[in-house]
Amino acid sequence: MLKKKICMVGEFGVGKTSLVRRFVDSIFDERYLTTIGVKIDRKDVTVGSESVTLMLWDLAGEDDLAQLNVSHLRGASGYILVADGCRAASLAKAVELQQRIEGQLGSLPFVLVLNKADLRDRWEVKDTAVSERGWPTFETSAKAGSGVEEMFQALTKKLLQ
Amino acid sequence: MNLLAALGYAVFERAADSSFQLAGPAPDWLPAGPIEEAFPFLEVFLPDAEEFWVNPGNRKSLYSDLWAQNELHFCAIAVAGDKKVLLIECAEPRFQQTQNFVQYAHEVSLARDQIAKLTQAKSEFLARMSHEIRTPMNALLGMVELLSETPLNDEQRQYLRVFQRAGDNLLNVINDILDFSKVEAGQIELENIEFDLAQVIEEAIEIGGVRARSKGLEVSSRIQPDVPTRLIGDPGRLRQILLNLLGNATKFTDHGKLTVLVESDKQGLLHFSVSDTGIGIPADRLATIFESFSQADVSTTRKYGGTGLGLAISKRFVELMGGRIWAESTVGAGSTIHFTARFAVAEGPAQKPTENAPVVLNARALRILLADDSEENRFLIRGYLKDSGSIIDEVENGAQAVEQFKQRAYDVVLMDAEMPVMDGYSATRQIRALGATPIVLLTAHAFKEAKARSYEAGGTEHLTKPIKKATLLEAINKFVPINDRIQVSVEEWLKPVVGGYLEKRRGDVQTLREALDCGDFDTIRTLGHQMSGTGGGYGFEPITEIGGVLEESALAGDTARIRASIEDLDRFLSAVRLE
Repeated sequence: MLKKKICMVGEFGVGKTSLVRRFVDSIFDERYLTTIGVKIDRKDVTVGSESVTLMLWDLAGEDDLAQLNVSHLRGASGYILVADGCRAASLAKAVELQQRIEGQLGSLPFVLVLNKADLRDRWEVKDTAVSERGWPTFETSAKAGSGVEEMFQALTKKLLQ
Repeated sequence: MNLLAALGYAVFERAADSSFQLAGPAPDWLPAGPIEEAFPFLEVFLPDAEEFWVNPGNRKSLYSDLWAQNELHFCAIAVAGDKKVLLIECAEPRFQQTQNFVQYAHEVSLARDQIAKLTQAKSEFLARMSHEIRTPMNALLGMVELLSETPLNDEQRQYLRVFQRAGDNLLNVINDILDFSKVEAGQIELENIEFDLAQVIEEAIEIGGVRARSKGLEVSSRIQPDVPTRLIGDPGRLRQILLNLLGNATKFTDHGKLTVLVESDKQGLLHFSVSDTGIGIPADRLATIFESFSQADVSTTRKYGGTGLGLAISKRFVELMGGRIWAESTVGAGSTIHFTARFAVAEGPAQKPTENAPVVLNARALRILLADDSEENRFLIRGYLKDSGSIIDEVENGAQAVEQFKQRAYDVVLMDAEMPVMDGYSATRQIRALGATPIVLLTAHAFKEAKARSYEAGGTEHLTKPIKKATLLEAINKFVPINDRIQVSVEEWLKPVVGGYLEKRRGDVQTLREALDCGDFDTIRTLGHQMSGTGGGYGFEPITEIGGVLEESALAGDTARIRASIEDLDRFLSAVRLE
């Protein structure tokens, strides 16, 4: 079966691991557990008539102590930039990461994900700040499950085009 | 190899066909099959490992990042040597240790962000509250000031004093809360100006000792001879600390005395102490009295009042001054609050103190545009300026201010910052684009952003409500030049008749006032028409302009505009001088 590597990138604590867990295992855990290094999961999906194995590389969130190791995206077919709608700084970080990745690996398909849609009333991220980029954007809630399946499906579809 | 295998590593060697062959026993966690397939992570590590094997430099090994798959954590290690050796480590203990450390850092960081957001929200709330309170306080305290300038009998004066004192106290409470939130938000900046320490102590004793003396307490101060008294620092904040401490000392002392002492300490700091002979502070509360909203005994809140912020604010100020604050006390015998602060010593001749003469407007009869949506505040400003002979055009929002400004020239614009339709900042920006007229912004916001915003919009000065009369007049004096004489150049052949023409117009002012009083618009229109047709011919364009407005307003029956124009005319005629 066709294999595609997809990387999850973003600031720490935005919910990358939770999005993967929701997508792969349909589980959400309230506890925050920092990812160290890389966490690799796989999931078979079918888009239209085509089946594909997604290799999901969940990369440790960038923080003051450690930078994202862009070489971990080698061989990736696409990536998911994750930001936390409640933290405007996490969107700025996502924008910075996108520039770094594109600078080092060239243009790759990606989507922007604003996670924690269940806390929409506490969001700091302004719609205009997102729409002005013109990036394919999804609002998700790893906790409630909303938007997660659609987001992965949409990116996979894009990768198969 | 055997040793590495014994340590739990899965040991692989690169074979001639480029595949990795297990060179030892297989640990139970090792998946079956080629390792590139068993560990997808290797696809990003092996290119680095290849480079390393070719050119290891001084390194003996190259470690990969940790990765997780199937609930286990691994690390790959390329080992330098004759053979290309790759170790796979099941790195649970290392993972656990790293995760504990990073998790802690992330949780602290997230909590810090959360606290910063809450503090920001609190500061915004306090700023908003202080604005809401300061706006009516401006009107209340201003009216008291104006009322005290009117004839009053002794009883009324006594009531007014109580009113004023209560208002000042209320303002102090608001200022305390505001100061505290400013300190918390890192908004306090200390001044660095020359001051006389003896004078600051004297003023603090004078003001802070009023209540103490009325309670029958003895109040004294002593500055040790080796203490330099001409200093550079923030006298206002130093006075505030001393007043806070004296206020507390007075509150908790019923008999005996209060003493302020200033000495030099060994570290080059000044050591202040405020002692009392009051009820004292229990030993277990000595350290916590400097915490915010804290009092030595919760029951004292009811008995003695106060916000519990005074000492917390003093502590922050002292720290900003490079010192520390602490307390010593014996219950029943009294307390001493000590603090230290660092000041630079002033050099050169002493500056002369400014005298507190009543402030009056230097320039008489100004044309002022006042924009404020509060009727009470407009009334107050009118009251402050009533003796100056100035003409004040009032509008209620920024948009009206911009429109009005386009209609005529003004000497100064007084602009409230927060108004409906268009706020004062936007209006200031638009007026500034039209000319250099001084614009004084009046706001109830005491945060430094408000001040920066005023200047950024093009404001000339920023005053924080409640505004005292003297403050307003000083601000206007600072920016409005003394121009109470209008010099007009008249052609030589007209000079013999110009004096008579002006005299006639001065007579018209009285006629116009009387006509307005009895609603005789015909007379006003006729006089306006005459002025409009003649002023410019004699070299007095403003008379033509005012005449035109008078004629037009009389036709419309616009009494307010007629009244303003008569005042304009009077003002012009009083000021005009022939060259």
